[in-house]
Amino acid sequence: MDLEQITGFIGLVFLSFVPYIFASQGTMLAGRTGQFNVSQEGVMLAGASIGFLVADRFDSIFIGVLAAMLVGGLFGLIYTFATTTLNLNQFVIGLALFFVGMALSTLAFKLVVGVTLSPPLIDTLKKIPIPLLSKIPVLGPILFNQNIFVYLSLFLSWFLYYFLYKTSWGLQLRAVGENPKAADSLGINVTATRYAAAIIGAMLVGMAGAYLPMAYTGTFTEGITQGRGWLSTALTFFGGWQPHTIFVGALFFSAVEVLALRVQVLRSGIPHQVLLTLPYIITLLVMVFGSRWVRIPGFLGKNYDREKRSVG
Amino acid sequence: MKKTRAFKPSTLGKQILPYLLAVLAAFIAAGIFLWLMGFNVLQAYQTILFTSFKSRNGFIQTLLKFIPLVLTALAFTIPMKASKFNIGSEGQLIFGAIGATATGIMFADLPALALIPLILFVGMICGALWALIPAWLLYRFNVSEILSTVLMNFISFSVLDYIATEVWRDPLAGHPTTIPISESGRLPLLVSSPPLHSGLLIVILVAVLVYIYTDYTSAGYELVATGANPKAAKVFGINTKILFLLALVLGGSMAGLAGAIEVAGKHHRLIEGMQSNFMALGIIIGLLSKGNHGVVPFVAFFIAMLEVGANAMQRTMAIPIEMVFIVEALILIFTLLSDTRKK
Amino acid sequence: MAENYLLEMENIDKTFGTTKALDGVNLQIKRGEIHGLLGGNGAGKTTLMNVLYGLYKNDSGTIKINGEAVRILSPKNAIDHGIGMVHQQFLQVTNFTVAENIVIGTKPKSYPLMNLDEEIKTILALADRFGLPVTPTATISDLPLGVRQRVEIIKALYRGVKILVLDEPTTNLTPQEVDALFSSLRLMVNEGLSVIFITHKLREVLEVCDRISVLRHGKNVLTMDRADASEEAFVKAMVGEDLNVENSILYADQGLNEKLSNIGEEIVLEVKNLTVGMDEVPVVKDVSFSLRKGEILGVAGISGNGQLELLEAILGLRDIKEGTISLAGEEITNLETHKLLQRSISYVPEDRWQDGLLSLATVEQNLILGLHRQEPYSDGRLLKRSSITEKATALIDTFNIKTEGPHDTAGNLSGGNIQRLLLARSFSQAVDLILLHNPTRGLDIPSIESIYSLILERKDLGMATLLVSENLDELFLMSNHLIVFCNGEIMGRLKRSEFDKYSVGSMMSGIRQGEE
Repeated sequence: MDLEQITGFIGLVFLSFVPYIFASQGTMLAGRTGQFNVSQEGVMLAGASIGFLVADRFDSIFIGVLAAMLVGGLFGLIYTFATTTLNLNQFVIGLALFFVGMALSTLAFKLVVGVTLSPPLIDTLKKIPIPLLSKIPVLGPILFNQNIFVYLSLFLSWFLYYFLYKTSWGLQLRAVGENPKAADSLGINVTATRYAAAIIGAMLVGMAGAYLPMAYTGTFTEGITQGRGWLSTALTFFGGWQPHTIFVGALFFSAVEVLALRVQVLRSGIPHQVLLTLPYIITLLVMVFGSRWVRIPGFLGKNYDREKRSVG
Repeated sequence: MKKTRAFKPSTLGKQILPYLLAVLAAFIAAGIFLWLMGFNVLQAYQTILFTSFKSRNGFIQTLLKFIPLVLTALAFTIPMKASKFNIGSEGQLIFGAIGATATGIMFADLPALALIPLILFVGMICGALWALIPAWLLYRFNVSEILSTVLMNFISFSVLDYIATEVWRDPLAGHPTTIPISESGRLPLLVSSPPLHSGLLIVILVAVLVYIYTDYTSAGYELVATGANPKAAKVFGINTKILFLLALVLGGSMAGLAGAIEVAGKHHRLIEGMQSNFMALGIIIGLLSKGNHGVVPFVAFFIAMLEVGANAMQRTMAIPIEMVFIVEALILIFTLLSDTRKK
Repeated sequence: MAENYLLEMENIDKTFGTTKALDGVNLQIKRGEIHGLLGGNGAGKTTLMNVLYGLYKNDSGTIKINGEAVRILSPKNAIDHGIGMVHQQFLQVTNFTVAENIVIGTKPKSYPLMNLDEEIKTILALADRFGLPVTPTATISDLPLGVRQRVEIIKALYRGVKILVLDEPTTNLTPQEVDALFSSLRLMVNEGLSVIFITHKLREVLEVCDRISVLRHGKNVLTMDRADASEEAFVKAMVGEDLNVENSILYADQGLNEKLSNIGEEIVLEVKNLTVGMDEVPVVKDVSFSLRKGEILGVAGISGNGQLELLEAILGLRDIKEGTISLAGEEITNLETHKLLQRSISYVPEDRWQDGLLSLATVEQNLILGLHRQEPYSDGRLLKRSSITEKATALIDTFNIKTEGPHDTAGNLSGGNIQRLLLARSFSQAVDLILLHNPTRGLDIPSIESIYSLILERKDLGMATLLVSENLDELFLMSNHLIVFCNGEIMGRLKRSEFDKYSVGSMMSGIRQGEE
């Protein structure tokens, strides 16, 4: 491979890196307040479908993304209402919402577009070269000649890191996910924190979904996420629920994804199905080894009830 | 240990009422949506609820849906009894189907009496083995079964695609499909037109056996105790770690059997997409039944009925089939919500 | 009120489910005093303070600060009113640093950023002023409990509290740390703070408090100045008069002594040189003792000194590093638990909710746990469901378990009934050896008496009992012999005639028998 191929490859990695980042960082944000939401795959699908339909209707990717984020936020609201306020099992509610999102994505598409062989297409995202910076050799084309979501995903990862570890809001948010009773005893509003994190997190997940038709296919197809929601959930897990390690993990994931596609194009003789399974197999392997060093938020998956008495 | 003789009408009513209300609420919510979209709600609901009973064909279609749904529900509920979640019945079903197809093609010369049991057995084993991978990862490395079972599904899709396009491809089919299995590997029919295969009897038998296992045996009690509090179960001498593994593998064998029966009874070959949405529906059935194996078949029949109605509704009224799936998910959510009232 | 109180709590009621935890409780706190809040287990001390701190909502009653009624609906309100609380189980985020734990929820100078340099200076100044040394940059999980407690106190001081509540603050402290704590508290009240000191230890209260209030069963009993108080008055107030000493067989010491003296010859349990623990530091060290038919052997010790591990080792739940255990002459070292349960050991664990109860299962499913492969519940394979229900119904009746029936969910039961359920399970079969861990903790006196009678009944039938308890009164009352644990070792052995609180107490704190 020559240099151009390598920069081209890394450029593609960043392109496919976006949905993992948005979905995983969104999952992480809710997780840091103790909520383990497994509805990602469904919320991404709903975001992809509705985002696409709205973008097509208004001929605006911006409005489309906004709609996808609204849909995601709605899912987050329902999720946290059922778990934080009604105290229902987080996993079961997440699963139910996964189903709803999955069905909603196809339903909305069929109701609006109908069953057709030639679905409408939207323009896919354009590259926005950053003046001057994009001219830097090697780094320029990789980092500074991408679509806006790539820039956003980089910014988001930095921002979440800064927010969680360098601000006192971040400290409070993490305290809620580690020991809500301690946070509560210091006057932090546990419920409000959980609502905010779940809703904003799910908005990011919805946005991750909307990116797929906008960056790749130009249209929505059933099951367009191909398990990226679940992979993102896994990534959040072995990324240790930290923005910076998730960032690295997402790079790794997208590199595997792009590599698999590349090898397929090269007609290496390896059946392409084998390559398609690579991300999942590698994820399983990483989960085996990751479980040893990863620390999960202390209160992950549990619901907090102030008046619950310790038993004994 | 649900009641043996305590089926007092009042308690039964108390148990069923929340379900009825949840169903009602889900239908009302979906009805409002359909009405806003300009559909004839009444006609839609008539189609959904009564298609199964209007014609012989409708009823048999319902039974054909019922067969895999009971099994994928059991694939979820057996691990759930031990507090583990199997979200991998899709992949386990596919592996059962692959095993069944391979057996039906490679041992085509065997007589039906030998081949049919072999196909079903291999299907179960393949489903069980596919579940064994996440189960073992849980046992050995403490990897959460929730994510690993899901990821195994995606791997199975590629395996199926490979077999249907590279190994035993049917060149005449436009869709990735294998060549058919041997005639002698097909399940005998109970009713010939429209065809209803004898998988129905197998499923009923299996459902009864599972019910006996979890509710009437000491071994099944250990599963239930583990699910009720793994730590206490361990303190009182139950090997919970092995039970987690066993429950997941047993669940996998149920899904594997579903795949084998779909191949031997219905498709007679491996078809991409044959897993349909059985996994999601199985999970919904399992959660609605709250893991009670006495009621799983009844809930499964209800859901099968809705699914057949949904197909008819899509055909005659152009309302997408997913509408009914959302109704089913809503029933689940409303049922869960009704649980909070009791606390 | 003529007097000018800083805090007044009037007629506070609080009910959990059907249990009345607080029943018209009153409390007055003066400025600049250490006020002891004394009472036994379940007296309502912590509940009352949780109401004050906004963690529990009171059903009725008023709280006044400086004579003005205030509404405290959340800890935030409490903090705003200058109330701080150090809980028995520290409310700390263990992977945060000391400084982070102290400043969470306040606005640091660099708000919204997290440059804590200024705050660390404040913390160090507070630490210095009140004699509470801490390292602000250390991570909580690395610190010993004594230091973590200082962090909790500074956390409250940092917020400028006027009233500091300490819930059982001496539980995990060494004597030196207790002394240091008491002098820090003195410094605080000298600067005008008020301290509420919750404890069930009378001596401490008398040592450090200015005034003392006693609660019992959720009600006020009395409030007194330290100067006017005698130890005896408080003991009476704490224990109450409702235990009719004359009529209780158990407290008629003479009869009980006779009853207990009847021990068989045959050795049931023999533990030899037992060492338990996977790591370098064993949790049970070279422990040997034996237990005869019909004997009750008490194990005294402060919680967490190897008692749980000893029981679990006998039950086959812990890997045994060295030594042997035999039951009725046969070695059972490292035998599987389910076989041991079948070979007639029964167990009532200390942590009922975690280790004993199948909270999601039914009452009858709970009653057969561990016995589910044997008669009369099973023929080995199939459960005998009608016989299970029958036996469960009978046990519910015999053990007076308040439940809707055998099919009720066990998690719905109240604490006392859960314990009766676990006792019913372990007393439902004839066994050789009964292992009991804090069997009466948190129960009311009639229940305790009925449990004691049950233990004595089993003893008369020749069963041997290993009674692990933190309650010395219970051990002195019920045991033939006593062994005292500290740091996983046996510190001393006493015969019933030698029982003496002072010497047992010193062994519990690590002084070997005869070393003094």
